[in-house]
Amino acid sequence: MPTVRLRAAAEYPPSSQKLFEASRAWFNYDFAEPPAMSRVMAWDVEFGGPHGRAMKRAMGPGEFTRGEKEMVAAVVSGINACEY
Amino acid sequence: MAGDALWYEAAQVVGITNALNVAADTLDGLEAVDEASAPPETRALFAEIRDFYERDAIPPGFHFIARDPAYAAEVWAAMRHAFADHRLSRRLKEALAFAVSVTSRSASGAAFHLSEMRRLGVGPRGVMEIVGVTQMFSSYTKIADTLQLEPDMGGIAPEDPSPAPGGAPGEDSPLR
Repeated sequence: MPTVRLRAAAEYPPSSQKLFEASRAWFNYDFAEPPAMSRVMAWDVEFGGPHGRAMKRAMGPGEFTRGEKEMVAAVVSGINACEY
Repeated sequence: MAGDALWYEAAQVVGITNALNVAADTLDGLEAVDEASAPPETRALFAEIRDFYERDAIPPGFHFIARDPAYAAEVWAAMRHAFADHRLSRRLKEALAFAVSVTSRSASGAAFHLSEMRRLGVGPRGVMEIVGVTQMFSSYTKIADTLQLEPDMGGIAPEDPSPAPGGAPGEDSPLR
């Protein structure tokens, strides 16, 4: 069980709604609620904004495709024993 | 990256990479094999590994586990299969192994697989892409773990209904 209460998207200010829209576009998936991690990162946009942009830059296509990078991300998550 | 076969291949790379890194980074108490005085089967194994990598270096862990040549040969057979070009390219597999090594703080593994990535044509930008993904997901995972978030994105990818390799759906299988 999360150690914090995850707020519904509707509880966030308009500035955070932009992050949720970006998250929906990134995953190309119509979530009923933004993923928990998106809502966590939207809690403080001064952290979540640059962190998200760094992630987007790292994950964008380059020498490796986005699909290949998603596999790298899954592997890193596995080594870190992160269930999320 | 659709289909389970790709993920089985990736998991093999992760597992065998970690196995070699564990040996390379923790077995300082064991004397490394002296190749010059090693038995012929050990020298043949090392030669085969060098042939696969097309250079003089071999994954450092083999210097320790080759004290039992028969065991090391089986580990190498698994590793060679895991890293060969199949559905995933050898280039991507080395990138996965590099990410595994960085994430698990294996300096020897990171150095070996970084040099393999470069040998296989990954440029400075590509290396930084893998570093960036590794670093960002090392951040995301710790944030998620600190807050004990529960998985909520499993529905994005569809299940792969194909049978196991060599298998065929049985009479009562929903796959028939």
